[in-house]
Amino acid sequence: MSKALKIKKGVDKGLNDLLEFLLKSKDIKGIFALKKMNENGAVSYSLMTSVDELKKATPLHPLMPVNAGKVLSIFSLKEATKEPVAAVLRPCELRAFIELVKRNQGSLDNLLLISLTCGGVYPLQSLADGNMKKHLPPYWESLKKAEINPDLRVTCQSCEHFIPYLADMTVATVGKKDLDKECTILLNTTKGEDYAKDAPGNIGSEEMETAETEKLKKRREEQNKKIVEDFEKEGLGFKALVKTFSACLACHGCSYACPICYCTLCDFDSKTLEYSPQSFVSELEQKGGLKIPPGNIFFHLGRMSHMAVSCVNCGMCSDVCPVNIPVATVFSRVSLSLQDEFNYLPGKDVEESVPYGVYKEEEFVEIGEQ
Amino acid sequence: MKGKALSAKEGINKAIIDFLKKSLEKKCFDALLIPAKVPETESYAWLLLQDESLLELANPLPPVMTVQGGKALSTVTKHGEMHQSVAAVMRPCEVRAAVELFKLKQNNLENITLISIDCPGTMPLSDYTDNPEKMTKAFENAFDKWGEGDNLRPICQICHKFSLTSLFPPSPQESPSDQNEKDFSASDLHIGLLGGNKEKIFLMPCSTRGTELLEKLELPPQDSLEKWESKVKEIIDKKIKKRNTFNKEWLTKIGGNEKFIAVFDECINCHNCMRVCPICYCQQCYFDSPALNLPPEAYLQRAEKRGALRFPLDTLLFHLGRMSHMVLSCVSCGACEDACPMSIPVAQIFSVIGDQTQKDFNYVPGRNRGEPLPLQVFREDEFSEVEIPSEGEETSTGEAEKNV
Amino acid sequence: MNDNIGVYVCECGPNIKDRIEIDKVIEEISSLENVKTAKKFSLLCSNDGKKFLAEEIKKEELTHLVVAACSPREHEQTFMNVCTEAGLNPYLFQLINIREQCAWMISDKDEATSKAIKYIRAGINRVALHKALEKKEIEINPDVLVIGGGISGLETSLSLAGKDRKVYLVEKAESLGGMARKLSQLLPQQGSGLSLIKEKITQAENNKNIKIFTSSEVNDARGFLGNFEVTVKLNGTDSEEREIRVGAIAVATGFGLFDPKKSTQYGYGEIDNVLTAMEFEEMMNFGKVRLKNGQPPKSVALIHCVGRKERGYCSKVCCLYSIRFARYLKDKLSDVSVTDFYIDLCLPDKADQEYFEEAKNKGIRFVRSDEEVKVKKSGDKIAVEYQIEGKQDHITTDMVVLAPAMIPSEGTSKLADMLNIPLDATGFFKEVHEILDPVSTPIEGVYAVGCALGPNNIPESIIQSQAAAGKIFSSLIPGKKIEPEVKVSEIREDFCTGCQTCLSVCFYGAISFDPFKGISIVNEAICRGCGSCVGICPSGAIRSKHFTYPQLYREVLEALR
Repeated sequence: MSKALKIKKGVDKGLNDLLEFLLKSKDIKGIFALKKMNENGAVSYSLMTSVDELKKATPLHPLMPVNAGKVLSIFSLKEATKEPVAAVLRPCELRAFIELVKRNQGSLDNLLLISLTCGGVYPLQSLADGNMKKHLPPYWESLKKAEINPDLRVTCQSCEHFIPYLADMTVATVGKKDLDKECTILLNTTKGEDYAKDAPGNIGSEEMETAETEKLKKRREEQNKKIVEDFEKEGLGFKALVKTFSACLACHGCSYACPICYCTLCDFDSKTLEYSPQSFVSELEQKGGLKIPPGNIFFHLGRMSHMAVSCVNCGMCSDVCPVNIPVATVFSRVSLSLQDEFNYLPGKDVEESVPYGVYKEEEFVEIGEQ
Repeated sequence: MKGKALSAKEGINKAIIDFLKKSLEKKCFDALLIPAKVPETESYAWLLLQDESLLELANPLPPVMTVQGGKALSTVTKHGEMHQSVAAVMRPCEVRAAVELFKLKQNNLENITLISIDCPGTMPLSDYTDNPEKMTKAFENAFDKWGEGDNLRPICQICHKFSLTSLFPPSPQESPSDQNEKDFSASDLHIGLLGGNKEKIFLMPCSTRGTELLEKLELPPQDSLEKWESKVKEIIDKKIKKRNTFNKEWLTKIGGNEKFIAVFDECINCHNCMRVCPICYCQQCYFDSPALNLPPEAYLQRAEKRGALRFPLDTLLFHLGRMSHMVLSCVSCGACEDACPMSIPVAQIFSVIGDQTQKDFNYVPGRNRGEPLPLQVFREDEFSEVEIPSEGEETSTGEAEKNV
Repeated sequence: MNDNIGVYVCECGPNIKDRIEIDKVIEEISSLENVKTAKKFSLLCSNDGKKFLAEEIKKEELTHLVVAACSPREHEQTFMNVCTEAGLNPYLFQLINIREQCAWMISDKDEATSKAIKYIRAGINRVALHKALEKKEIEINPDVLVIGGGISGLETSLSLAGKDRKVYLVEKAESLGGMARKLSQLLPQQGSGLSLIKEKITQAENNKNIKIFTSSEVNDARGFLGNFEVTVKLNGTDSEEREIRVGAIAVATGFGLFDPKKSTQYGYGEIDNVLTAMEFEEMMNFGKVRLKNGQPPKSVALIHCVGRKERGYCSKVCCLYSIRFARYLKDKLSDVSVTDFYIDLCLPDKADQEYFEEAKNKGIRFVRSDEEVKVKKSGDKIAVEYQIEGKQDHITTDMVVLAPAMIPSEGTSKLADMLNIPLDATGFFKEVHEILDPVSTPIEGVYAVGCALGPNNIPESIIQSQAAAGKIFSSLIPGKKIEPEVKVSEIREDFCTGCQTCLSVCFYGAISFDPFKGISIVNEAICRGCGSCVGICPSGAIRSKHFTYPQLYREVLEALR
């Protein structure tokens, strides 16, 4: 059981009231949250410092134009903020930020982290197609019933980590039937409690994990199995990999959208992986034909080997792919099993080192023995 | 101008592939760079091939443009001269991009034969990805209606540079070397598809290399190209009219700060457009570089100015900055719009601005290899009409501000 | 940050003290985080002031020094020297101008004070990001290349050649002497006979320290003051080459002459007995002036200003040599009638007026025509048509001698490209400043003398040659070391794609392309740090060492706070 702030307003309005309270009455200088951009349902993350602008905030809007972990990393990359700032972000975004903090790509100091039990987001294509407005009512319905909305991002449909790990406050949404009337915000840490003092609403108590969240977890597990099965029907192995990525333009959009890919200049964009005409000629002699640009699978496997251990399955990669390659499905399948091997859950514990940097004398002995 | 007519009774694609096959057999070139279908899929990719049997996968004019051909050619020849001879079969906008990249030293055209083909346009990449069969059929119709299909990419619907470069309105300042050689075209050989009732294709040499190629194949260019030329000119006229209307409409749609900003409301700053653009050649884009990293108090300060600050930042700066860096060389190929996950009409906007700015410099990107890039040419007397006069002179800035 | 920044505000006598609340400035600046100490002083540029600063640097263990005083143009170097002597890298220093930019232009004391504080804060933010740049030294090559073996080239070579300094004299033609050698005589005020020219040639040929290459041309030149590498094509061939290393280059390529065929009104090449000045000079060299039919002329018309309108400038020397021709004719041929036609008469030097009067006294007629004359065939004579005050008239004459305009010599623009030096609108080489720096080009170490710069007579060419020699003497001292500019640009290899756009905007030729690596490289010894390349590189692969983005951003950000 943890303390919770209960505001007698719909969850949207209640949350906005809390944010306004933080900005006006506490030392919070700015708030990161999704803000309305137009009447089409477009949103963008925004650092809001005025109450007027904050009125346009829609933190729970089911769209992820960019992984907020990347946003917080941009903000706190050079140094920690000296002025306190609050951020409202989804569990996978928070986990991504934690993974970045471990790699010195951001700082947690002076950040008030507000997350939510997450019902998922729609693919960006829904916005591009002009369907966001149409999607909102069924979205909230599924959320209340702890059901999976079939139009969500594939990664969201199968996500089991929809309850945040390191938030200071968590907005309860999954399975809450009274979302239209009451806004429940769990206060997970002392910091969260302090900031909620004198906030509009009453302090009660609430469980992070409820019977409803359990239901959703099970449903998501099943959906995950189904998605993996469907995917594996195409076959596994190198041939299937080539076919899956056959349409790839090597635009590297997936890498740039990925919150974990933080390199200033990706090796795969650098001169290291540009080839001299002689190499093309000699390869051509051997193989008779070469795909141009070469190294497609190399790029994906390379990227995978660099970031899969911290992949939070947010699904940004699939969303930005111009040719609809199910990048997230492939990467999440591999990353989940990789993380299993290391017994590592990215973003759960900021003190836990990324497995690559940890040396254990006895590890994967069974592979060596083979 | 004369060309060589070849029979295309078994289909245009086959006629072109047969011609290329013969050229490979006769060692006119050692390798071929051409789009091809990836086996067991509906996807297309560029193939650099030496093995003739791979030609059965090749398709010189696929229904979509995946990787921009100019960029593909740079991948192969960026780091020096290709010591084998390669023929690159590309759409006219891809050839023009290759010529611009040549001026920017991002490819080496020694031993490269550029072959262009009359292009009816392509289908939007996302439409094709969703339904390849439907789009392939629609594309076949595009050959009959030539550019009039409304399911083609908008940028293709207004394209008047779909054929031989030298048919464009000529430039008032040809570079002296071109005046000697009469090599106005950007490509070495052009394949005309129009004016033959789909029963013929026309090969026309546009440079010494193209002429030599036809000589080696014993295909002397002695046939009349009148029908082709008149058909092409007819379509160019139609397209130019369409383009002018299009440009006017767009300038109204995006004119002024508010309207322009609104277009990018849905932009998520993924920078896909920049990465697929053939002209964007920087190893690391300035707008991805640490130059734009700031300490948190700087972001807060900026946010305080207007009450909020959009993240990721500098959406407009990125687009306007990229525009100012590359729009003079924009060949209106549309790769950017195909890559945008939010379906923002980037290609249409950049193309409109490209037209306006290129006109001011009397410059047509990719027209010929000798024409220097306006960015690298210093002229003392230029744009005096937009200079802010010193005290005592008549102001003429009113006009300049109105056009912004 | 472990910065110990010391900030020192100069009272500058009454200049700053009276207009800015210095104590308030000190108080505000002292409270800043990375400022170790903030103090004031009466006159920092004085000996006491400099001593004070040096002591402070050591005592306070300063990592950076900020001085708020006058304009950097006045004392930046002064305080940089103080830093160097006190053991602090002089580039970890910033001079804030609170005199010209605050005290002297804002009458309201409060406003001036707050602006000064703002500027100082901005400067502190900037200096914290400065890098300790190191000065370099290069040993110079004292030798000189002189391009052109005419009178200017010879004079320059003879002035410079010495035990410690070799001169390489490269001449396109087969022999030395240039245009001056073709003259039959000089003006009497310049000395009689042409021994002057011949003497110079002999002296040069006998001088052990002058290496002469005739029938040779400069093909390529790279480098900078004290260190040029030049390729010379020898003996009229394309294959024989020689590499020369020199420290300075003097361009003495002389002039060419306007081709009168370009102006059909003179009938040159169409009408018999219409000659150019050079052709007449040849006759004078032979001692016989004859018409085509072998007879001496009974009348001669000398036309000045041929090509002047087309070229747009006066060629300075033609009036005097035309008068020389006229006087020669009068002296040699008994009853010849001589008429000089001119648009304007150019008699600039002290003895010229007298020379002209004497000519008139000899019966030489001078006619000022409104417009260019027309030369037409008139039977087997020649008619010269002219116009005075609107009235047309003509004379009939046996021979016409045309004085064509001086034009840039052949190969001028190729040489200009090669050396990266500019030409002016007339096509001659452009000096840095007609009055302040008349023989230098914008490229340090490259000079231009004589008619390469434009129409000059022999005395002027000699003066310029000696001037250039003087400049070379003082800047190219054997054994001296040169300190090239430190605040230069640098190109980051990993980010350069070799598009060479930067090369196209570098006026100094400081950027070259390395084809092996496929990147552009800045030659730090030639780079002047102008920043044009930094501005034009689209990816930001080029940076300035002392004007980095973070430095400028922080400074501006603070100033606008």
